Order: sequence, then C-alpha cells, then structure tokens
Amino acid sequence: MDDQLITGYEGQVAALRGTVPGTDDLRAQALKDFADKGFPTARTEDWRYSDVRGLRQQVFGLAAPAATVPDLPETLGDVAARFVFVNGRYAEELSDLGDLWQAVQIRPLANHFMSNADRVAELVRGDDGVALLNTALLRDGIVLSIPAGVEIDDPIEILHVMTGADAAAAHVRHVIELGEGAVANIVERFVGDDTAYWTNAMLQARIAESAKLTHIRLQEEGAAAIHTAKAFVNVDAEGRYVAASLSTGGRVARFEAHVRLLGEEADAVIDGVALAATGQSHDMRTHVSHKVPAATSSQVFRTIADSRGKTSFAGKVTVDKDAQKTDAVQSFKALVFDKTAEANAKPELEIFADDVKCGHGATVGELDAKAIFYLTSRGIDPATARQMLVAAFTAAALERVPFDAVRDAMAARIDAWMAARADKSV
Amino acid sequence: MAGTAEAQKQISEITGDYKYGFVTDIESERAPKGLSEEVVRFISAKKNEPEWMLEWRLKAYAAWQKMEEPDWARVSYPKIDYNDIYYYSAPKRKKLQSLDEVDPELLATYAKLGIPLEEQKVLAGVEGAPRVAVDAVFDSVSVATTFREELKKAGVIFMSISEAIREYPDLVKKYLATVVPVRDNYFAALNCAVFSDGTFVYVPKGVRCPMELSTYFRINAENTGQFERTLIVADEGSYVSYLEGCTAPMRDENQLHAAVVELVALDDAEIKYSTVQNWYPGDKNGKGGIYNFVTKRALCKGKNSKVSWTQVETGSAVTWKYPSCVLQGEGSVGEFYSVAVTNNYQQADTGTKMIHMGANTRSTIISKGISAGKSQNTYRGLVKVLSGADNVRNYTQCDSLLVSSECGAHTVPYIEVRNPSAQIEHEATTSKISEDQLFYCRSRGLGEEEAVAMIVNGFCKEVMQHLPMEFAVEAQKLLGISLEGSVG
Repeated sequence: MDDQLITGYEGQVAALRGTVPGTDDLRAQALKDFADKGFPTARTEDWRYSDVRGLRQQVFGLAAPAATVPDLPETLGDVAARFVFVNGRYAEELSDLGDLWQAVQIRPLANHFMSNADRVAELVRGDDGVALLNTALLRDGIVLSIPAGVEIDDPIEILHVMTGADAAAAHVRHVIELGEGAVANIVERFVGDDTAYWTNAMLQARIAESAKLTHIRLQEEGAAAIHTAKAFVNVDAEGRYVAASLSTGGRVARFEAHVRLLGEEADAVIDGVALAATGQSHDMRTHVSHKVPAATSSQVFRTIADSRGKTSFAGKVTVDKDAQKTDAVQSFKALVFDKTAEANAKPELEIFADDVKCGHGATVGELDAKAIFYLTSRGIDPATARQMLVAAFTAAALERVPFDAVRDAMAARIDAWMAARADKSV
Repeated sequence: MAGTAEAQKQISEITGDYKYGFVTDIESERAPKGLSEEVVRFISAKKNEPEWMLEWRLKAYAAWQKMEEPDWARVSYPKIDYNDIYYYSAPKRKKLQSLDEVDPELLATYAKLGIPLEEQKVLAGVEGAPRVAVDAVFDSVSVATTFREELKKAGVIFMSISEAIREYPDLVKKYLATVVPVRDNYFAALNCAVFSDGTFVYVPKGVRCPMELSTYFRINAENTGQFERTLIVADEGSYVSYLEGCTAPMRDENQLHAAVVELVALDDAEIKYSTVQNWYPGDKNGKGGIYNFVTKRALCKGKNSKVSWTQVETGSAVTWKYPSCVLQGEGSVGEFYSVAVTNNYQQADTGTKMIHMGANTRSTIISKGISAGKSQNTYRGLVKVLSGADNVRNYTQCDSLLVSSECGAHTVPYIEVRNPSAQIEHEATTSKISEDQLFYCRSRGLGEEEAVAMIVNGFCKEVMQHLPMEFAVEAQKLLGISLEGSVG
C-alpha cells in the first residue's frame, strides 16, 4: 500500500497513544495488519460493489472538535437517553442520560479498560483495512452494560454528527452488553454537513440468554461523505437481535451486519432499506452465522436506485455442520428507476448441515406500470401514485421496527426522497 | 432418518463405484512431458496446422504464462504441476477412412461404456441404427466420424477441429476465440495453447440439422491432460442439437481436463447443447479423479437466437464449470438446466452466467444440486443486465438437496442490473428430503426406496425433461434406473 497512507496513519496512532488506556498494544497490532492488508480495492470480492477509492487517495485526519455547537435534529419520539458524538467525540453537554444511569452501567470507551484490562481482548479487531483502522484509531464510543433482567423500554439514541470535518475521519466504537433476559433498544443516527468527511463506525454487541436487542440505524450523512459501518453481534440461546436500517445519505455508504447465533433458539432479524441517487452508492451486507442447532434468522431488504445511483445487497447465511434445524430466510427486492442506475445482489448460502430450511428470494425490476395506471385512473397524480407504491414496497422492511415514532420517521424520509425525485422529473 | 440412509445409498449407486474404470491398451504417441514452446510447436506440427494457427497458439502460451491460476471457486485441490503433465497423446493408428477400420479394442471400449445411444451399432455398421452422428474423440484425436455423408448432403459441417482448421480455415478463423477470448481465463488460455482436438460444427443458413450430433470424450492415456476445443456455429435460421457425454478410466493420479466450448448462434438460430458428465470422481476416500476446469460459453449473436445448455454432472473430483450465454442479439434467449450430484469427496463449483446485452432478451436458470457423502456442491451464477438492454426477463431457481450431514450445499448468485425495465427473479432453497413427503408416499403404500426415488426424481425432473431422448436414457441410468421404474 501507499507508504504515504501508512505513514499518515502511523502518526495518528502515535498521537492517540494513551487516550484509551490498555489499548496501545492492540492499536499497534491493528496498524501493522492494516499496513499489510491495506484498504480494499475493486478486486476485493467483499468490496466489489463499494467504491472506496476515496480512502486510498488521501489520509483522512482525525476530526478536530467542532468549532461551533451544531444544530441537533429532534429525537424520534420518546427516548430513554441520548448520547451525542460530534466529530467522533462524545459531547457530554449535548447528551441527555435521563434516568438511564440508575439502571444501566454507562462508561465512555476511554475508561472502559482501566479496571478491566483483560476485556481489551473482547474488542473486535476486524479483518479488512477499514475495520483494522477503526481498531487502530478508536478513541471514543459508549459502553453500555444492561444488567440481567433489566428492561429499558424506550429507545436509547446514539447520534453521530459530523461538522466542518473536510478530509477528516471519526472512528467510533460502541460496545453494548445485555445480561440474561435484559432488553434494550438502540437507535443509531448519522448526520453531517457537506464537508468530505469519513465516518468509520463499529458497534459490537453481546446478547446473553433470552435477552433482546433492537438496533435501528438511520444513515443520513452529508452528500460528500464516506460512511463505513460494521456491527458485530453475538447472540446466546433464546436471545434476539432485531435490526432495521435506512440508508439515504453519503456519497459512498456501506453497512455490514455480522451476526453469530451461538445458542439454541437464538433469533436474528435484519431488515434494511437503501435509497441511492445522483452518484450515490449504498452497499448493505449481512452475514448471519448459524453456529448451533435450532436458531432462526430472517432478513428483508428493499433498495431503490435512481439516476446514477447504485444499491447493492450481499447477504450471506452460513450454517455450520452442527446447526441442524436451522431456519433461515432472506428476501431482497430492488427497484431501478433509471438507465444510469444500478442494482446488485448477491444472496449467498453456505450450508454444511442437512436438516435445515434455508431459502432466499431476490427480484429486480421497476414499479408496476399497471399499478400506477390503476392509481392514476382513480384520480391520483402519477408522482403520488409512485410514492404510494414505493411506500408499500419498502413497508415490508420497516414493519418489524417496534416503535411507531421511529418507523414513521423512517417512512417519512422515504416519502421525502420520493418527493425529491418527483420534483426533479418535472 | 431411514429415508436419508436410503437416499444415501441411492446416491452412492449413482455416483459411487465407478463402472467405467478400465484402461484400453492402445499404444499412444505422446509429446514430451511438461509445457514449453517446443511442446506447443510439437502439437501444432502433429496436427499439420497452418502457420497462423501455430502463431495463435504461441501467443496464447505467452499470455498463459503471465496469468495466475484462479482461486475464487469453492474447491480445493493440491497445486497442479503443469510441467508434470503430458499435453499430447494420440492413438498410434492413423486416422481411419471407414468404420471397418475401427480398432476392435476401441469398439470394445465403447461396448464397456454401455453407450446407450446405439452408436455401437452405428460404429458396427448395423442397418437401421438411429441417426445419431458420432465424432468419437478417443484420447484427443478424432478416430471415426460417422454419418458425414448424410450431413454433407444437408450442408452441415461436422468434423474434428483440426480437420476444420485445414479444410475450412476461414470459417474457423472467423469464429475461433470470438466467444471465449484467448486471455479469458487461466484455463482457457492454457487450452488455446495446447488443445489437442475437438469438434467443429457449422450449420448453414436455414438448415435444421437432420440428426442429433454427439461426441464422446474419453481420457485414456495415463497422465494425459485432455484439452478439447469445441466450436459450434449455427447460421441464420438453423437448428442443431449437440450431445456431449464423457467417461474416463479409473486412475489414482488426478487428471487435468481444461476444455473450451464456444457456441455462436446467428439470427433466428438455435443451439441445444446437452452434457452428461460422468468422469471418474475419485474413490471413496477422495483419491484420484478428474479435475474438470471447463470454459463453456455461447454467444447469441443474432436476433431471436437461442442457446440452451442442459447438463447432468455426476463425475469428476473437482468441477469448475459455468456454461454461459452472452445475449447480444435482440430477443435472444438463454437457458441453463443443470443437475449436479456430488458424493464422497467430490467438489463441484458450477453454475452459469447470463449476460443480457440486447433488448427483449430472456433467460431461464434451473439448477438442482444434490450433495451426499462429504462432498461440496456450489452453485455460482451471474445475471447481468446492461443499461442498453430493455425489457429483459430472467427467472432463476436454485435448489439444493442435502443427503448427508457431512456434505455442503452452497449458493452464490450474483445479480447486477443497470436497466429499469428488467424483471429479474431469483429463488433458492436448501433442504433435506422432506419427512412429510416421505411419510405421505409411504402411507400410499410405496416402499422407502421407491418413495425416496420419487422425491429425488421429482426434484430433478424440471431439468431432466430438457435432455434429448437419446440422452435421457443415460442420464436416468446415472440417477438410478431402478428408481425410475418404480415411479412409472
């Protein structure tokens, strides 16, 4: 890889030494592996649909603290707490912990390992250049430990804001731990201005027996941003992971969910919607790994690509030799609006057990002309008709979001996106 | 789980003990071991090839040397030493002028193969034998070509490719490597450099080929790679059905096979290409077996042309094979019907690519994978729609049946669409034989074995029905003739 890049990131790692006590060796190792592997290229199979050339063209500096306090979007309905990160740094004054601290252990990542040095080993290191760099450069993030039996009903919002961060990056890392039977709901939001920044976020979660974590993501980065995010989730017996994401922002955006079902009757639900236009590229990847018998997983993804937009979905389900009675389903549907747009799909099954039920379905097409005709014949204008059909098309990927306010907010963004398309075509 | 055990047994009957493992003792003439410019020159000289062909081969050889062996497929095998292989071996006997001259030993070989197509009768000159033309490829050189006269009357050219290079150089030059370019992939480049022989078919305008054309491939000499080259051109409005079937003798050492098949269909032409592949899969412990690295591609060049690939894959230790269609002509159609059975330690990574370039092009993919033993069976496919291709339609179905708890079934489909009017559908399922279905069949008085037979048969039926009659017999044999009988 380019020596300049390595030197640049070496300097950053050196500057961060000591900021998260206990992680210096981890950083050094991750940096070394990063130097070996480099950033993914167009020839890297797992990245074939993500164009991250931008990462190889320059060194993204560590984003400086924001010069001014940015305007924050409203929360999506009632929240149990709100954690705000500005340019990758925890903004205590903008956050609101509510009553959460009474029931839940909350720590900034920086202090997490002070009394738990051995827990450094639990940090996911990642196996490609992007994840390794997150590990080498991690500084801030939230560590949430929900004790056994504690149920936090309202969503906990984690808001990431990027501002005035041209050519700069934020490498955040969140750690979520749910004790036996605990319940928590995380809403991750990503917003930013028009500067050409890079958000490189990682979230790792451990869901203990019978616990349930909901993980909603709204990715609304600025138009010039690169967004790479990964979630690594381990689910124990009878635990549940329910995820839904909406991706509309950024220039190049990518989200990966790596879920390992480690206990019997563990369940994973991973849904997502991506809308790409005007040169945007949205890549969504899932890898659900069935490690034990009788676990279930279900995925519903819907994407729409308009003028020069590109949406991609790669969903992989792995069933280990011992994971009999696995039930895994996946549904992917894409709409392509324009000849300059592109939709890609790679729904992959990798099965080593025989007593399983695994299936996937994928379709690509355009909106049904007959349906539009029917609606317009009832006096609905074509733009509204299309909006209605898109709302119906995406609804399947949102219906498992357990909060009305959050689901409505996601649907409203899809409507707004469609409205912008209609304006454009006039 | 009794049903599973039964099914396992059946699979083992289908692919298990290889019935065709024998060695015919005909002295063969070989090129020196290994690969070099000299060997390429030797092969070209042996074939009395014109200068342009030699140059073409040498260029391919130079290109191959700079290429790297692909490693993306889900197959693993010990590294191949390309300098430890004989690249040319021909039966010593000169080319035969008539069938009477066919070596009795060779005829005996076909007899042992149990060729179901009655070609034995054809080869033996029996009156009233069905009209199936055989261009028998016996270890790299065409030994006998039958029915040439009748085909000639229809204007169909059906001969070994080395003959065609000499007799119809312009036709060959015009189409050779236009579908699979020399540098297409590692194994295709290797084939270009060293291909020993193969088949050339040209069906002229408006001609419906009067019979099914068939070639038997057979790897015979020890340590000999088989590098076949097939080129089929169907001119405007013509139709041809081509059958390819293969068996190979039992060996302990792995044998390399890297064939290239190119099909070209012009306006309104149709090519139906059927394969039954039953090469030696290695023994129960995964020892030996053929390495089958094949590049098969069709170019639907003309308007409303059609190419249909049907394959029944039961053999080879390692299979790397993706019969594909480039749908260039407006309204052209590509089809891929595949049954792949793997057992013991076999590894198959197979599938198709449908590249939609023209408007109103359509494709259908039906793939059935059956894994047993400790085998790994992968479907890998691509459906691609370019932005200029309006109103494209694709339907893909990939089903996998698992018959042991130690095997693997994998599905890796790619879908890439750049046109809004495309309608692409993909479905995949993986499951074991349903206990409910077994129970239902048994409650109707069917025996365990019959019940499993019925289910396995039903599982593959969509593909089997696309095989030509002559081939269906052999394919059914491979999938267990006793089972077929009980189903009626």
